[in-house]
Formats: sequence, C-alpha cells, structure tokens
Amino acid sequence: MRLALTTAICSVAAMAPSGAFAVDYMTAEAAAKLMFAEADRFELQDWLLDAAQLQAIAALGVKPRSARWQLRLAYKGKELLGVLVADEVLGKFELISYAVGVGADGRLRGLEILAYRESHGHEIRSAAWRKQFVGKAQGAPIKLGEDIANISGATLSCSHVTDGVKRIVTVVEQARRSGRLG
Amino acid sequence: MNKKLSRTPLLHTLSLSLMLAIGTAQAQTPAEQELLRRVDQLAAELAKLRTELAQLQQQAPTQPSAPAASIAALVEPAPAAQARTVLGGYAELNYNRPNNNGKDAQADLRRLVLGVQHRFDEKTKIVTEIEVEHAVASAGDPGEVAIEQAYVEHQFHPNWALRGGLFLMPMGLLNENHEPTAYYGVERNFVETAIIPSTWREGGIQLVGQLDSGWTLQAGIATGFDLNKWDAASSEGRESPLGAIHQELALARSRDLALFGAANYRGIPGLLLGASVFSGQATHSQQAASSRITLWDLHARWTPGRWDLSALYSRGSISNTAALNMPLVGSDSLIPARFDGAYLQAAYKLWEQGSYVLKPFARWERFNTASRYAELGAGLTPEASDSERVVTLGANFEFAPGVVLKADLQRFRLNKDLNRVNLGLGWSF
Repeated sequence: MRLALTTAICSVAAMAPSGAFAVDYMTAEAAAKLMFAEADRFELQDWLLDAAQLQAIAALGVKPRSARWQLRLAYKGKELLGVLVADEVLGKFELISYAVGVGADGRLRGLEILAYRESHGHEIRSAAWRKQFVGKAQGAPIKLGEDIANISGATLSCSHVTDGVKRIVTVVEQARRSGRLG
Repeated sequence: MNKKLSRTPLLHTLSLSLMLAIGTAQAQTPAEQELLRRVDQLAAELAKLRTELAQLQQQAPTQPSAPAASIAALVEPAPAAQARTVLGGYAELNYNRPNNNGKDAQADLRRLVLGVQHRFDEKTKIVTEIEVEHAVASAGDPGEVAIEQAYVEHQFHPNWALRGGLFLMPMGLLNENHEPTAYYGVERNFVETAIIPSTWREGGIQLVGQLDSGWTLQAGIATGFDLNKWDAASSEGRESPLGAIHQELALARSRDLALFGAANYRGIPGLLLGASVFSGQATHSQQAASSRITLWDLHARWTPGRWDLSALYSRGSISNTAALNMPLVGSDSLIPARFDGAYLQAAYKLWEQGSYVLKPFARWERFNTASRYAELGAGLTPEASDSERVVTLGANFEFAPGVVLKADLQRFRLNKDLNRVNLGLGWSF
C-alpha cells in the first residue's frame, strides 16, 4: 500500500511538464508574440482616457481600473493586427497577472495568465478555460456563470479575471472608436 | 639604453604631427558640415515647438476639463501593490428553530475565523487561520478556540508545491472550500460533517501538483485518528465517528501516521470530478489490537450556465473493531465498522441585479454513521443504524461579493423532531 502510493507519486512527478521555474509563467512580451505570431513589430502606446470616454465605459456597466492604460500594438508591416493589454486583478489573497489580446476587429485573440500565486485555482491557466474567451467581442456578456464557465474551488480567481477581461475589451473598443488604433 | 631613448622622442613627435594633421582635416570634412546643419535644424524645430506651446497655453482656458471628483468616481481602485502580508477571514451566524420544539430554538455565532497569509518570497508563503467557535470560549462557556490552518507552502516547480504544517485534508467538495459563501444552506451538509469530519485538518507533509492538463494531484503523509479517544459513553461518536477521534495536531499521537491522496479533474470548464482516500492505523500501539481507519470519497460538481449541480459519496471503515468493542459492550456508542453517506444538490442563479444575487437550492442526502458493526457474538452485536435522510430547501442571497444571507427548511425522515427552519448570515474575505 505505502510502496504503491509512493511509486504512484514518483511516476506522477516524472510526468510533470517542464517549464520556467517560478510562479511567473510568462512575460507580457512573450504573450504578445504568442497571440500575434504573425506580427513583425510591437509598439508601446500610453493612452489616457478622458472624462467622456470614462463615462461611456461606465455606461456599459464596466468600471475601468484606471484612466491610464498601456497598449501594446502589434503590426505586420503597416497593418495593425491588434493590441495586447497586461493587467492585474486580485484572486482571493494575491495578485493574478494576465494579458489580453484583442484583434483589430475588436474580437478577443486570447488570454494568458502571466503569474499566479494562490494556493488553489491554478486551473484558470488551463487552455480549455482560457479558450472560452477567444472570439468574443464587446457585445458578449463575458460573465462568469453566463458564457464563461466557472472552475469549482477557484471561483474568485475566475470571477475577477473574467471581469478584468471584459474591462480590457471595453477599453480597447473605446480606443478603436477614438481612432487610437488607426 | 641610449639607443632606445633616442628613438622615443622621435616617435612622440611623429604621432603628434599625425594627430594635428587629422584634426585639421576633420574640421573641414562634409560630416562636420552635416552635423552643423542638423544642429541648426533642431534649433529651428525647438523654436517651432516653443511657438506651438505658447498657442496651446492661450487656448487652454477655453476648454475646462471635467472635475477631478467625477473622474475618480468612474475609476475602480486598482489592486494595491503586491502585499506580502494579507488578512482574510470568514464568519457564520446561525439561527436554528425546530418546528415542533420552539423552546429548543438556538442562535449561535457558529464560528469566526481570522486568517493571515504572508509571502516570504516568490516561492514561499505561510497560511494560517485561527477560529473561535460559539463566540465565547471559557471554563463556563461552550465555545472553543482552534487553529484551523498553519502551514508553509513552497513552490519548487511551476506546477508543484510542497506544504508542511497543519493543513486541510483534500477530501470532498467542502473541506478545502468551507467558507459560508462557498456552500448552499445555513448548515453544512451532513455527509461532509458526519462522515467526512469537515472542517478536517491534520499535521503533515503534502505534495500538490497542478498539471496543465487540468489535473490537481495531492498526496502526503499526516497525523491520523486516535481510537484511544473513543468515548463510548458519549453520543459524539454516533454523530460523527471520525469527528470524535481526529487529532488536528493537538498533542497528536503519532506512532502511526496516515497516507492520503486526492485527484481532481477540472480540464473541462464548469466540471469538477474528484476522488480522495485517507488511510492509517489508529490505535498507536496503545491497545493489543491494531486498527486501520480508511475514508474515501467520490465527488462531482457541474456548473452549466446558471445551474450549480453537485454529487458526492463517501465511506469510512474501521478494521478490527470486534476486539476494541468487546470491553465496551453495553455502552451507548460502540465503534462502527463502517459508515457512509451520499448527497445530491442543485442550485440555480434565479435573479441578479448589481451586487445582489439570489440562488435557491435543493439538497437530498442520506447518511449512516454506523451502517455496520463487527460481529461480537449472539446478543452482543449492536444493530446497524438506519440511514437518516434529509431534504433541505432554501436560498442563498448574496448582497455584496462575500456577504450572504441564507434561509432554509430541513426535513428529517427518521428524527422528525429535528425538522427545522434555519436562518444564517455569513461573510468571507
């Protein structure tokens, strides 16, 4: 019994995939390259929302975290492919760093978890969970328990990251409309 | 020596001459002229910018900006920079009123828990929780103070961590997620309190793996139960056999340690499938007969859209109870050889507005804390208990993230005197 369990533990440990040695999984740069593989250059752009834009975002039921955002624009030649935004939200006790990619058409390109430090809920990094966001645009609910399924035992992390994604999609849509991405 | 000295001045003279010649030539090269032209160009552009700035300053008064207060109201505060020490906690205040015995109605601050988590560095942190039950703990009051968690967690690989200390056993759906906001109903379900003694923690070492495929694997070695603590004169063992003999790192007998393991799959969003097992000797060589206690469970949870569906089955067994029970014959509570339970639960997010969320739920459960006793001989073997069945109907009403008001009715099939109305208020942060 003990030996069998020990053997099982060892064999399971051997199955573990290799990766970077830290709870930091990815940088924003790496996430940008991953989501916009066809891009040949990235350009950082700081954007300060004015009061009218903040009110427009609030009218959609989204509270922008800040009036100041840093957009990472992905280009292929002169063509803008989309934008990546890196952000942080609280899980239950600790910060979750994540990056959201939005295409030039306003649709979500992807979500990457850059760092996760909670004792539970790492499953939000699973491709299956993050894949739920791909293709959604501002009109979609992007809401946990509606079009985004929860992960049992990681409800707060799922909820806060989902809220964060919706916030970024809304902010990027404002940037599109104001010609910042033109 | 003299020859060397005579050469040196000559070399110096030559090098100086060359440098002067080069310097003179550079002063007249096209590159120099190009640099001068660029400096002139920059000066012109600077003058132009100065002019534009003056124009902007003239225009500024005609465009008043929105008041700062209204902008602040539109912006959600960003999370504070990563704090190394984080406080958390939860509490449950319950009111239980038996339908047929109003005189037995009871109000209770069931528990208040304060947690402190401190991160030493990117890989290492401590997690602690201290609990006060029933509000007051003193010689003349029924409360108790307990440490619920106290462990160090070290992440030695992106997917693997080690824990050492007092930690929650990874069993069932409730034990590791037991805040009042995490379960439906005023009271925790009977299966995960009478069979799995939630909140159940032990001291030991635990390996935690969070695989990218969606599997969470946990295994370790820990203190276990102490059958020497069995009080045959008390009803506690009939209410929760393992709750009566867990040790929770309180001067825990550790001659025999237990092994535990759990596997949970969350690879499909909205679905959780899991199993767990715990097994260890429990008499610690204090009795002639040794006895092994084993507890296992299977659980599932599915959250399609607004629904929240759960199911769980758990069974415990204690070996060699015949030898242990023989001296206890005639007492109120003999040690059962087997106990088990199962429940099904459905909840639905019926209504939501702003931070208000209403979730009615229904739960059916069956549990038996003594489904089998070991054979002691004719006339000596106690009869196995009948299973109790409980139906709970009610609702959770969240009125802020982390604060919940609850109400439910509970119907018992065997012990109808326990039929009751419950009200609860809970929070978690």
